[in-house]
Amino acid sequence: MDEGPEDGLVEAAQRGGREAFAELVRRHERRIYGLVYRMSGDRSDADDLAQEVFLTAWRAIGSFRRGSSFYTWLYRIAVNVSLTFLKKKGREKNRAAFDERLAVPATGPGAASGPEENSSRNEIKARVDEAVASLPTPFRASFALVVGEGMSHRDAARVLGCSENTVSWRMHKARKLLRARLRPLLEEVRS
Amino acid sequence: MRCRTAEKRLSDALDGALGPRKRARLEAHLRTCPACRATRDALARLGEAAGPSAERSDEDWAGFERRLEARLDREPAGRRAYGAPFPARRRLAWAVAGFVLLAAVAALWFAARRPQPDLTAWLADPDALGPVLLEAEADPEVGRAVESEIRASLEALSPSPDADAAALAAADPLFWEGLSDEELEALVVALEQESGVGGPK
Repeated sequence: MDEGPEDGLVEAAQRGGREAFAELVRRHERRIYGLVYRMSGDRSDADDLAQEVFLTAWRAIGSFRRGSSFYTWLYRIAVNVSLTFLKKKGREKNRAAFDERLAVPATGPGAASGPEENSSRNEIKARVDEAVASLPTPFRASFALVVGEGMSHRDAARVLGCSENTVSWRMHKARKLLRARLRPLLEEVRS
Repeated sequence: MRCRTAEKRLSDALDGALGPRKRARLEAHLRTCPACRATRDALARLGEAAGPSAERSDEDWAGFERRLEARLDREPAGRRAYGAPFPARRRLAWAVAGFVLLAAVAALWFAARRPQPDLTAWLADPDALGPVLLEAEADPEVGRAVESEIRASLEALSPSPDADAAALAAADPLFWEGLSDEELEALVVALEQESGVGGPK
């Protein structure tokens, strides 16, 4: 990641420079979106979460310590925003599940999957994304940072506030869980 | 190398987190183990399928930036600290803990400063009993304490009830009347033997 010129942009943003902050957004928006998408498993939620990440960063930019890594700081915000969202969503999901027991189940073709599932490649991708979204959140966060964003274990550990060994162990477990869940699909891809 | 270890190291190897020596040992194991080779291939396919997925058009990104700009217009750049989740709740917890600690320290301080009457002074000096009794009349708590001291002192002075049980029984006229002639004679013999003096005939 290009850290050199970013220091100047961060400094300008800390003085209230909107243009500098907009440039920081352009540099990181795709990666942040990718991360929050993997964490939430939903494109619409990911869009809202990415907005929330940058808003939070703007509100807190004055407290960012110069000399530390801006992208690590930004990714930490993204992980925390995602975890908060998932907690809230979990509570709402539990409530919805309770309500659904009382409701008449809806049937028919209305609940069809998204258009991306029409092609085989996109279908595989969607199923993998769905499996990733079903991982326990610590495993999911590690997987999203390391596989999704190509981070080293060391950088992922800095973002998540844990040791490299923890990231390594979580990655191993995440792969094991995904492999167990996607075994037929992975066999299909091989053939 | 066992297959379980190999599987763990495969994960590290895919992330580029395996040192050269461990990598060499893993590769040696893979050359001889078809099951672990199959695992490696499956994990590699999984990594490919789970790669970057933020495929959006430039228009999507332009829309994203416009919406963000509109929201940022309403937000001044702040100095709000970031990194501690739920800071308000944590501040409240510290405030409550501080208040409880202060209250406990204050209670101990007041308890230590309150003068305690010497409830045993009257034992050494009978003239000291007067002021203690006056104080006991004024304060029920002191009164109860004095009463318990007096009871304890009286119990210490009086003989144990078990020690004189036999004497008390002997003093009871009904005790003697209840004894048969044979029992009385046996007692007399026992007393004569014990004291060496002849009893009443």
